[in-house]
Amino acid sequence: MFEVRFHGRGGQGAVMAAQALASAAFQEGNYAVAFPYFGAERRGAPVMAFTRVDKDKIFSKTLIYEPDYIVVLDDKLTGLVDVADGLKDDGMAIINSNAKPEDIELGKSVKCATVDATTVALETLGQPITNSAILGAFAKATGLVSIDSIVAGIMDIFGSRIGEKLAAKNANAAKVAYERTSVGTCKGTMTYEKGGKWLPDYKELPLGLATRPMKTPEGLVGPGSFVDNKTGSWKTFAPVHDPDKCIMCRMCWFYCPDGAIKEVGEGDAKTLEFHLEYCKGCGICANECPKDAIKMER
Amino acid sequence: MDRHQGGETIGITIKTLPEEELFTSGHTACGGCGAPIVVRAAMKILGPNTVTYFPACCLLVFGGTYPHNAFKVPYLHVLFENSAICAAGIKQALNKQGKEDVNVVAFAGDGGTGDIGFQALSGAAERNEDILYICYDNEAYMNTGIQRSGSTPFGAWTTTTPAGTKIGGKELFKKDIPKIMMAHNVPYVATASVGHPADMLRKIEKAKNMKGFRYLQIFAPCPTGWRMDTAKTVEVAKKAVNSGMWTLFEMVDGVITLSVKPKMEPVDDYLKMQGRFRHLTDEQIKIIQGWAYKKNEMDLKFVEAFSEDKKE
Ligand SMILES: Cc1ncc(C[n+]2csc(CCOP(=O)(O)OP(=O)(O)O)c2C)c(N)n1
Ligand code: SF4
Ligand code: SF4
Ligand code: SF4
Ligand SMILES: [Mg+2]
Repeated sequence: MFEVRFHGRGGQGAVMAAQALASAAFQEGNYAVAFPYFGAERRGAPVMAFTRVDKDKIFSKTLIYEPDYIVVLDDKLTGLVDVADGLKDDGMAIINSNAKPEDIELGKSVKCATVDATTVALETLGQPITNSAILGAFAKATGLVSIDSIVAGIMDIFGSRIGEKLAAKNANAAKVAYERTSVGTCKGTMTYEKGGKWLPDYKELPLGLATRPMKTPEGLVGPGSFVDNKTGSWKTFAPVHDPDKCIMCRMCWFYCPDGAIKEVGEGDAKTLEFHLEYCKGCGICANECPKDAIKMER
Repeated sequence: MDRHQGGETIGITIKTLPEEELFTSGHTACGGCGAPIVVRAAMKILGPNTVTYFPACCLLVFGGTYPHNAFKVPYLHVLFENSAICAAGIKQALNKQGKEDVNVVAFAGDGGTGDIGFQALSGAAERNEDILYICYDNEAYMNTGIQRSGSTPFGAWTTTTPAGTKIGGKELFKKDIPKIMMAHNVPYVATASVGHPADMLRKIEKAKNMKGFRYLQIFAPCPTGWRMDTAKTVEVAKKAVNSGMWTLFEMVDGVITLSVKPKMEPVDDYLKMQGRFRHLTDEQIKIIQGWAYKKNEMDLKFVEAFSEDKKE
């Protein structure tokens, strides 16, 4: 039996990747299951999906807490989430990153494979969707399933969702990533803080459950406390503002769904500040600017 | 008889909208979501002296997951079915406490408004409860993963109106909730869109300053459910109005006016921007085009029938 935990962001297709891997393993004569972690996640927020593969029938229905392999679709997640939590010591991490395995920090030194799946995806699909490319890296790094089975798995799962033509492009992404995967060992110098959650006892629980704005050891809670939630890591592209072209019409400021654009200064010195720690990189500001003063860059 | 009082505006525009955010950054809507554009702007106009109510919907989840919250004003949630009466109850309780100047606003999705919350909405409207009800219309049940609602347009793919060989997306037409609300003879009913911000701000301000039941339905694209580029949220909303797929009008005391005369551009451009319409056949596009023309024709007749000079 081997167990794989996928870490991605909502919209990156971690669930489809988990299913395609299960299909690949199944086509090699194994039993396999794939399932997501259910939560209130939105596109861009960290999510998980799981694949469990065995020669025999699988009866375990739990989430995977001690995976043999972790697959990370977005290396920026490694700074936010302890993706290697519970990963077996002889396990392996497969990571979408343009860095060498030796430069990856997971808080645990384990076998590690990297591939720049985002670039592969942009080249092969024209979109930064890495869920197919990363499976090529999985095949190369682990040798547990052949690249041909991965291709078959992608054709099966992606094919039924997005059609044969697009599925074939995704299968190609996996093949390209297969060739570009490097394997090594990652670093394990940093320690991840166990993320706590504010759990009030009954005396702290406000009447009618209306939380007041409060600082707790776990951070802000109550009205306005989402300011603590830095959503900027969700983005692939970031806005770059050219103040020389800008006429301070405020359209971008108005439209930004994340309130990431602020006006600063007075009179002629008035300009815009882009708070990239919140910006999700949607590109609305660049699309709506009447003076073309904003460009989205990777 | 005129049922409303107030409604005066000082003409808030994008230039004069306050900097202060009462709906903060750090909320967890998908990148490019239209709903927070509505809510950020609405909260700036409504100001701190406001109590908000939400049924289950994307906004409830991305605006607040206990104990975290993007709203800096009181924020209540009871059930999916009863937004309008819960908001009305809050308003009446505040009145009893002598806090008559508090704005009470319910924000709800199209599913929570036109389908599941409809009996409560209709009842509160008929009783002319003194609340502002804002429906952000993203044309499906998005929070639970894109199921069709009454507000989903013809031909749109959703997970419950799949596009395959037997059927090609939703086979029924979009429910005209604003007209149903007009039939309740409430003081104010208006439609708006994130693609027409000046009009949207004016209507929110006007509705804020009126008394009695006020209903606003604001077109707020959902790039995730519509399967489209997140940068195009505003652009697609503009195209909806220009093609007649969404009409901007308002009704004040039974007098209906068009806010923006639809240019009736062909619907193709609008549809092509969205993956949810990718599968459409020429036949289906023709049906949608026909629907837009017919709706426009009916809207113009409607506006004519309820114009100022037809009022006795
Ligand atoms: C009575 C009831 N039925 C179903 C649900 C599950 N549910 C929660 S949010 C939601 C969809 C809401 O759709 P909509 O009102 O259009 O808002 P959106 O999520 O699209 O913004 C559903 C079906 C519920 N919470 N309560
Ligand atoms: S939309 Fe463009 S011109 Fe207007 S304020 Fe923003 S950057 Fe400046
Ligand atoms: S890219 Fe989107 S989130 Fe980022 S600043 Fe522009 S509008 Fe705001
Ligand atoms: S699913 Fe749609 S409506 Fe919901 S947060 Fe995402 S973009 Fe917004
Ligand atoms: Mg909806």
